[in-house]
Amino acid sequence: MNGTIQAPTIEYALLAPMLVVFGAAIVGVLVEAFAPRYLRSAIHVPLTLLSLAGAFALTIWQAAAKGIPTKAAAMGAVAVDGPALFIWGTILVLAFVSVLLIKGEDHFVAAASAVPGSAEEEQALHEGAAHSEIYPLVLFAVGGMLLFPAANDLLVAFVALEVMSLPLYLLCGLARRRRLLSQEAAVKYFLLGAFSSAFFLYGTALLYGYAGSIDLAKISTAVGSVGGQDTLLYIGAAMLGVGLLFKIGAAPFQAWKPDVYQGAPTPITALMASGTLVAAFGALVRVFWVGLGGLDWDWRPVLYGVAILTMVVGAVLAITQTDIKRMLAYSSIAHGGFLLVGVIATGKAAAQNASALSGILFYLVAYGFTTVGAFAVVTMVRDAGGEAWHLSRWAGLGKRSPLLAGIFAFFLLAFAGIPLTSGFFGKYAVFQAAVSGGALPLVIVGVVASAVAAFFYVRVIVLMFFSDPAADGPSIVLPSRGTAAVVGLAVLATVVLGVYPQPVLDLAHSAAQSLFVR
Amino acid sequence: MTLQAPGFWPPTGPEIVFLLLGVVALGSALLVVTTRQLVHAALWLVVCFGALAGGYLVLTAEFVAWVQVLIYVGAVVVLLLFGIMLTRAPIGRSADLDSGNRWAAALVALATAAVLVTVVVSGFRTAYAPLDPGQGAAKPLGSSIFRTWVLPFEALSVLLLAALVGAIVLSRTDIQGRK
Amino acid sequence: MEPAEFITHSGGAIGVAWLMIALPLVGAAVLLLGGRRTDRFGHLLGVVTALASFVVAVLAFVQLLGFAPGERRRGIALYDFIPGMATKVGLLVDPLSISFCLLITGVGSLIHIYSIGYMAHDPGRRRFFAYLNLFVAAMLLLVLADNYVALFVGWEGVGLASYLLIGFWQHKPSAATAAKKAFIVNRVGDFGLLIGIFTIFATFHSLKFAEVFPAAHGASQGTLTAIGLLLLVGACGKSAQLPLQSWLLDAMEGPTPVSALIHAATMVTAGVYLIVRSGVIFQAAETAQLVVTIVGVATLLAGAIIGTAKDDIKKALAGSTMSQIGYMVLAAGIGPAGYAFAIAHLITHGFFKADLFLGAGSVMHAMNDEVNMRKYGALRKAMPVTFATFLIGYLAIIGFPLLSGYFTKDGIIETAMEHNAILGWLAVLGAGITGFYMSRLVFMTFFGAKRWEGDAHPHESPAVMTWPLIILSAGAIFLGGFLIVGNRFMTFLSPAVGLPEHLPEFNPVSLTGLVTLALVAVGAVFAWFRYGAAEVPAVAPRGSFLTAFARRDLYGDALNEALFMRPGQWLTRLAVFFDNRGIDGVVNGLAAGIGGSSGRLRRIQTGFVRSYALSIFVGAALLVGAWFVVGNL
Repeated sequence: MNGTIQAPTIEYALLAPMLVVFGAAIVGVLVEAFAPRYLRSAIHVPLTLLSLAGAFALTIWQAAAKGIPTKAAAMGAVAVDGPALFIWGTILVLAFVSVLLIKGEDHFVAAASAVPGSAEEEQALHEGAAHSEIYPLVLFAVGGMLLFPAANDLLVAFVALEVMSLPLYLLCGLARRRRLLSQEAAVKYFLLGAFSSAFFLYGTALLYGYAGSIDLAKISTAVGSVGGQDTLLYIGAAMLGVGLLFKIGAAPFQAWKPDVYQGAPTPITALMASGTLVAAFGALVRVFWVGLGGLDWDWRPVLYGVAILTMVVGAVLAITQTDIKRMLAYSSIAHGGFLLVGVIATGKAAAQNASALSGILFYLVAYGFTTVGAFAVVTMVRDAGGEAWHLSRWAGLGKRSPLLAGIFAFFLLAFAGIPLTSGFFGKYAVFQAAVSGGALPLVIVGVVASAVAAFFYVRVIVLMFFSDPAADGPSIVLPSRGTAAVVGLAVLATVVLGVYPQPVLDLAHSAAQSLFVR
Repeated sequence: MTLQAPGFWPPTGPEIVFLLLGVVALGSALLVVTTRQLVHAALWLVVCFGALAGGYLVLTAEFVAWVQVLIYVGAVVVLLLFGIMLTRAPIGRSADLDSGNRWAAALVALATAAVLVTVVVSGFRTAYAPLDPGQGAAKPLGSSIFRTWVLPFEALSVLLLAALVGAIVLSRTDIQGRK
Repeated sequence: MEPAEFITHSGGAIGVAWLMIALPLVGAAVLLLGGRRTDRFGHLLGVVTALASFVVAVLAFVQLLGFAPGERRRGIALYDFIPGMATKVGLLVDPLSISFCLLITGVGSLIHIYSIGYMAHDPGRRRFFAYLNLFVAAMLLLVLADNYVALFVGWEGVGLASYLLIGFWQHKPSAATAAKKAFIVNRVGDFGLLIGIFTIFATFHSLKFAEVFPAAHGASQGTLTAIGLLLLVGACGKSAQLPLQSWLLDAMEGPTPVSALIHAATMVTAGVYLIVRSGVIFQAAETAQLVVTIVGVATLLAGAIIGTAKDDIKKALAGSTMSQIGYMVLAAGIGPAGYAFAIAHLITHGFFKADLFLGAGSVMHAMNDEVNMRKYGALRKAMPVTFATFLIGYLAIIGFPLLSGYFTKDGIIETAMEHNAILGWLAVLGAGITGFYMSRLVFMTFFGAKRWEGDAHPHESPAVMTWPLIILSAGAIFLGGFLIVGNRFMTFLSPAVGLPEHLPEFNPVSLTGLVTLALVAVGAVFAWFRYGAAEVPAVAPRGSFLTAFARRDLYGDALNEALFMRPGQWLTRLAVFFDNRGIDGVVNGLAAGIGGSSGRLRRIQTGFVRSYALSIFVGAALLVGAWFVVGNL
């Protein structure tokens, strides 16, 4: 040390997708600051979409042209490996689609600071005010989503978790209609998110105490070599688990999900249900497989129980929901449980792990698209007061708008995992990995839970097609081009992944083949 | 952590200072929650934070110690005092500072402390790290932040930016329409 | 003799066997998506697609006959679904599947035609034909699939069509409830099948018949038994075998052509198909085979007993369907000696039971949709054609010598007798009861005094309804003899299912056959004295406890309720699952049901952030605790 600090080595090319997204977000902030108001949306939308598309292109280019790196980047902070690249691609596409949805209609509040129902709000609505800050905020969240699953040490993971969550807390509170519900959702999400983050941080601290490092690879080594401090290890790992399981909405940490999904503006719900879930699963798998990989005899039974509870809670509670978004939220919880089945399916052989991982990756893609599509349909069924959220309002939709109801029914069938939809292969891939990993009982629970879930999906379909529409039933808004594109894309993805899933399966397989870098 | 830990007796100078600082921190913390004057509570907090900073110093973590003084003593407590003044809280003794839940709160606090102590003791009973003066100075920390931790550091700045934008979204009232 | 090898095939009618499935599927799609525009010609389109499918089936059959017997298992690759992971999708045309195809498209077409008349005045006729077409397509996929995945798709498809058709008259709460019941009970069976399929894949790493069956002998006895039993659970659900029989009687709420096609002739026999198709697995697992035969015998008796007590003509016939399928399952459980009889009986049953159901439909059509036989009587004069065809169906089902049922059912009884005397004698007993309840049905409907109510003016049905009856009854007369005499069908089927070591010889005067005939005659005569010669009371007498037992479907529903529904309700009361209103009103009262339950739901999901935080905290404590427990094991 002679008074100078050695410059760090940063692999900018590897990090390019993430940097593009963050950079675009900062440009977005500058646009907010300097561009005239009437121009802002016109700049933001292309900027956001282009940056996401560019980041996606860079991801593809990295994977296709430059090969998958074998060691962690940015001083060991970020692991841009096969699974991370796959997850990045997935998140970027889903975020792109969600942004199309955001731009589609007026989902967001005119003036967030106006008290709901006040004269100020009236005025803001009347003047057509709008928050164009939404776009940079979404980009910040997406940047966090990219960093989270690639984080190679727990501190980076924590920071990424916060970068991902903070903008989402805020965006949840910006719904244009049912504002009180939306604000309540935001506050709940924020408080509970902070609570769970504290668990995550505390777990990190304890693991640091145990291993003397927060690097996942070093923790993994320490698990094999350090003895006599199991208390720290167990509590630390469990607390870390709480933080991660909270984000994916696993039971018993699922309580926030229905409230938040219900209150948030629907495009943001779509982003959370797809992007956040993908990112959180990426991080969960990385932490448990890489960092705590040597401990799998200990965490597998624990996650076993969590997975069962999650599947059952999600599937059973969904049945009694009256709000379409709450129902989808519970369905998302149940799907989180199905994905956990894949997380448990580890084994001694690398091939087993690779097949479990590729199953998870495929499932994430399949579920992400279907769920974005389903929420996009939700935005199109409108009442006088906004989206027709109550299920009874959906009665007879099949008679008023057969195409839309048919599409929604198709998405529901995909959620249920009916063959010839993407959901079937997702479940199949995950369950098959679990069976060969020796978790047959769990798979049986999973199949039973999917059957229960199928019951309520079918119930909605029956409601749409076999009930008489209410006289003053909701109207179907003509979708904007963006929304129509989202629905179209989601249908396409659900069909293609259900009928000809091989290319994506291959892709997931080759991404999973190298497993995580350490 | 392979070094042989020296015995606890006789205590060295730094150990005695550390213990005394601990006593000060604990005592002032108790006073924070028992005093009947709101402003005094805030001032006792200064003492508590100061004692903690002293503890960091003894452990050779000088940078953290100054950060503790600057941010907690300097900024956080001042913020608290401003808060007290702006909300026009009574200066002087106030009778209604106690809550009926105080025993429950005390119990929870005790339990939390017990858990922490148990975990730390069981985790670090045998651990020993020698103090190495200069390790906690600004320079090694800075070099580590801008080398090893540069990416999370930058990500944190992004986080703060996002938080700022968010705060603006929630609070600004001068939004005009596009028309 | 072992079954023949699988041969890859292309060209000719067999090469385009997928058309059989595609044609009705397109029909269904056009009718469902076309909406009211297709109202005018919808029924005709439905009939045409079914007939076209039949033509393809016949051509494929003829082409198949052109091959040497050893080359009659023709696999057609359709497309590569997911190489390496599950299976290529393809079709398998062999003697077994083509027999089913002919039955499904043949009887299906007749029933389509009949429905033109039967549903003439129904506003939902187009939708009805769409569902019927959908059913035909799914059923054909089920039997033509060359792997378990596609089979399962078809399996679910026929379940869906059945659900839609049972609940077709959804304005009737009973129909809506029956549809749901069928759906739910079938789910139980479907799980069994699904888990069975998973197990097959886990064991053999393939789901193609061509790869699973040759490898079957390599698996362990325990695995094979498990697979067999799981497949049996699936078969029980679809074929209304004990203990999953309860939905079939309620399913009679659907329009009568549906009862004839789906709940008598074709869909409910899918379980038999599954068992015979997977015969290699069952033959390697004796325990599973034994369970199959026991289930078959128990159901054939239970169905017959239920049939004796029902006053609703369709429910009596439904009980009889259960019972006849019981015979088929029994034969299918015996092995290669029974397969040909099981399938032959399945085919002849398809004809005479469809004939009986359509006849019953014709009667109901004439009697203002009255189903209570106590309000019929003396209809033979009013509806001569219906009576004549019904009589043929009746004689066929009770096994009157030289009619279809005589050959096929007697074959099953003889084979069972050879296999195990107890099973054989129970099957004989079942035949006797069949004689009684079918005679009761015929005497109460067509003989005795008029007990008509209100403004009933029975009349013969139009030609579009009577011609299918006539064709079906022709089948009911001749088909059995044609198939059985000289072991014609057994030889034909052998490439698909193998042959027994020695071929059975048809013996018209065997001891068993004579005893059976005598018992049937006793049953019929007994029925004559009670229902033909004596006066039939308009209101059912209370009867003995046995009668009550039979009337309540042998307490099948009560049992289900006690064993499955109650614990289910109890379990889900945590989250208010099967709320009474929720379960009763899926179709017409979902909103109300949900409204009633949401109040209770709030107790869990309070909405208070503090209780959520508490739940997270408790969850975290549990997680830490669990970790410690596991870690210290």
